[in-house]
Amino acid sequence: MSDRKEVSRRSFIQLIGGVGASLALGSFSSLACADVTKKDKAGNTAVFEPNAFVRVDPDGSVTVTIICPDAGQGSRTALAMLVAEELDVDWHKIKVVQAPANQSLYGRQGIGGSHTIIAQYNELRQVGAATRYLLVAAAAKTWNVDASTLKTSNGHVLSADGKKSISYGDLTAAAATIPLPTTKPELKKDADFKLIGKGATRVDNPDVVTGKAMYGLDVKVPGMLYAVIERTPAFGAKVKSINDTDAHQIPGVLQVFEVPSGVAVVATNTWAALKGRKAVKVDWDLGPNADLDSAKITAQLKAAVGPHKEMPAGAKVIDATFDFPYLAHATMEPLNAVADVQDDHCTIWTGTQQPNGAQGQVANMLKLPVEKVTVNVMLLGGGFGRRLSNEYVVDAVNVSKAMTKPVKVMWTREDDMRHDNYRPACHASLRGAVDTSGNPVGWSHQTITAGGGRPGGQFGGANIAYDIPDAAMLQAGVRVAVPTGAWRSVENTLHNVANECFIDELAHAAGKDPFEFRRSLIKNDRLRNVLETAAKKGNWGAPLAAGHGRGIACFQGYGSYAAHVIELSVEGKKIKLHRAVCVVDCGTAVNPKGVEAQMQGACTDGLSTALRAAITIKNGGVVEGSWTDFQWMSLDAMPKVEVTIITGTGGPGGMGEVGYPSVAPAVANALFSATGKRVRKFPISLDEMV
Amino acid sequence: MALYKLNVNGSDHSVEALPDMPLLWVLRDMLDLTGSKFGCGIGACGACTVLLDGAEAQSCQVTVSAIGKKKVTTIEGLSKDGSHPLQKAWIEHDVPQCGYCQAGQIMAGAALLHKNPHPTDAEIDDTFAFHVCRCGTYQRVRDAVKAAGAKK
Ligand code: FES
Ligand code: FES
Repeated sequence: MSDRKEVSRRSFIQLIGGVGASLALGSFSSLACADVTKKDKAGNTAVFEPNAFVRVDPDGSVTVTIICPDAGQGSRTALAMLVAEELDVDWHKIKVVQAPANQSLYGRQGIGGSHTIIAQYNELRQVGAATRYLLVAAAAKTWNVDASTLKTSNGHVLSADGKKSISYGDLTAAAATIPLPTTKPELKKDADFKLIGKGATRVDNPDVVTGKAMYGLDVKVPGMLYAVIERTPAFGAKVKSINDTDAHQIPGVLQVFEVPSGVAVVATNTWAALKGRKAVKVDWDLGPNADLDSAKITAQLKAAVGPHKEMPAGAKVIDATFDFPYLAHATMEPLNAVADVQDDHCTIWTGTQQPNGAQGQVANMLKLPVEKVTVNVMLLGGGFGRRLSNEYVVDAVNVSKAMTKPVKVMWTREDDMRHDNYRPACHASLRGAVDTSGNPVGWSHQTITAGGGRPGGQFGGANIAYDIPDAAMLQAGVRVAVPTGAWRSVENTLHNVANECFIDELAHAAGKDPFEFRRSLIKNDRLRNVLETAAKKGNWGAPLAAGHGRGIACFQGYGSYAAHVIELSVEGKKIKLHRAVCVVDCGTAVNPKGVEAQMQGACTDGLSTALRAAITIKNGGVVEGSWTDFQWMSLDAMPKVEVTIITGTGGPGGMGEVGYPSVAPAVANALFSATGKRVRKFPISLDEMV
Repeated sequence: MALYKLNVNGSDHSVEALPDMPLLWVLRDMLDLTGSKFGCGIGACGACTVLLDGAEAQSCQVTVSAIGKKKVTTIEGLSKDGSHPLQKAWIEHDVPQCGYCQAGQIMAGAALLHKNPHPTDAEIDDTFAFHVCRCGTYQRVRDAVKAAGAKK
């Protein structure tokens, strides 16, 4: 990319931005885009590329540059929809390309906190609108009419009477000579949306269903070697000695050496690397955590619970505790990266949630300027927070540097599961009170996480959606050697689950229906509305068959609102899930199909972690290694998942995480309805209910 | 190391490999057919599913030396142009999220529909119970399999 073009692109970003600090946007410029056309191979027609985000080709196709990784949340589709909407281009003419890491050009590219669509909702529509402005002005110039008389539809500019029409593809050369507008083009009114709110199937589907979609693990570059790393059996263990004699007997094994994360085995193909790794004998110094186990961690968490806040005199006081395990992210595609470290530059291919972070980290490691590190962002076979950190990139750089060749480092499923940054284990202790008329009058929640966090904590706002006087929460952590990190909806995987189980218990103590009790106490209208909708869709109050139970729970966060009703039955020792009613209000649902998918996925996560999945610590390491012992929901065990989207206007809320935190409590509450017993521990075991 | 002749997606290939190399790595590392995915390597997820003479098989669990004359079909060879009823139904029902498990799901569906074009819910349960989708696309997998079956 030439410097001049870079300048022109930046000016455009400044034009479309203004408010969006997220894309590092500034003020307006009227710079002409004279250098933004390209000759095609025949040398006559031009490609119109007015900015860093969009390109119009002479065939009328429009290519949108996606700056954020897509981990399966569908952002490549939804972001392209935003441009297509304002550009008034036929969705089938849209193509997407994934941007490499380049913070100075694009701003922050990371994905986390459910903010991808929120952050770019206005900016990308501005990109579309400004590009449309230039194409319309080009048509006006060609036809010698006033641009304000022209309309656009399906990738064409139309004359006022609709008699004349010219395709965007035929306007590319002319559009490139038009100066940028001096004010921001007006955006469509919500009522005029043709794509937003209607839904599109994913842009990557055709490649996914034919096996062409490229994930990090699919990358192969010339001369590339394959490596796996034998990793520490206990957190904090160190290599004492390596015996690689047997490993070198395996054809294809090239080298075995120590790297910061363990012992790398490099080979000419993956299988040889895996076999070589098995044959390597590493003597480990297990280090200070060798006898750490889950029981000790739970004891430590429980010991950190302090006195609860005083409950009002004369009120009926109830107590409950909840234990949560560590959780692995277990993305379907195990972590991996390809690195090609050269003397004065480095190229990375990987699926990461933090392209800019990866670029900076590698630049630091290799003492290279950031612009000498290229991070190509591949499709992510799942993220859920795991790919917010880039240890796998660091691995690949270390091995490539040592080999002076491009290297792919693959984490096995077991590596991935045993060396995660886990959702912290947690012990939650709650105390609440209701008065004699059944009104809640006290609420004290202490949540102690094994997240390395602060040893102390302060009672603060209770982080609940309900109007309960003096409700308070204390968050504290104990230091444990198990690494922790963000896991889809982060702290809400704990707080909201405990809160929504406990409010049910308060309702019961008050002799009230748990839905009505919540409804009467909810402070936010949108949350009340999703709760009421879920109750209605879930036939709340209708008679239940013998052994059946129904539970309800809700959550607000990330600018969105969700509620769930779960219906299940208990037959002997078996829990059978019948229905999962999921309701969400995320404001403007840019792509309702994507919103529905996020709710279905989050519901699966909620059910999996309510009923099946847990990470156990033993001898300082993780016991579970694969899908056999870290069990996820399977198709046959899934209930019917029914998603209702309450559509709003005025912009989107986040969708990546909101669908998770009310699923597990709805399951727990449904089990109470079915059995009269309460859940005290996740994942739920019927035997451990009280 | 030995030389193995394989028929993959209708073409003959010969590869030099260790006899115990799983078909998955032959496909991915040697034939550059990366549509079949590595999800566990122990036969526990289904991401690597291919067809062997039309029947579902986990390519991480079949060694190159055990294939013999069996014809291998991967997601890349399911149809010439993405026109298999399952591929079309998958797009229409917008099944993929991250997409990583989807080749395995589709290949399992292809084997099922081959045997039984109109599977019941219980038969779908049976086939797919083993196939992990970490993103939770199960509802749409079920819908798409049924739709593709109906069109067959
Ligand atoms: S990779 Fe073969 S079953 Fe998981
Ligand atoms: S779509 Fe992501 S694992 Fe199935």
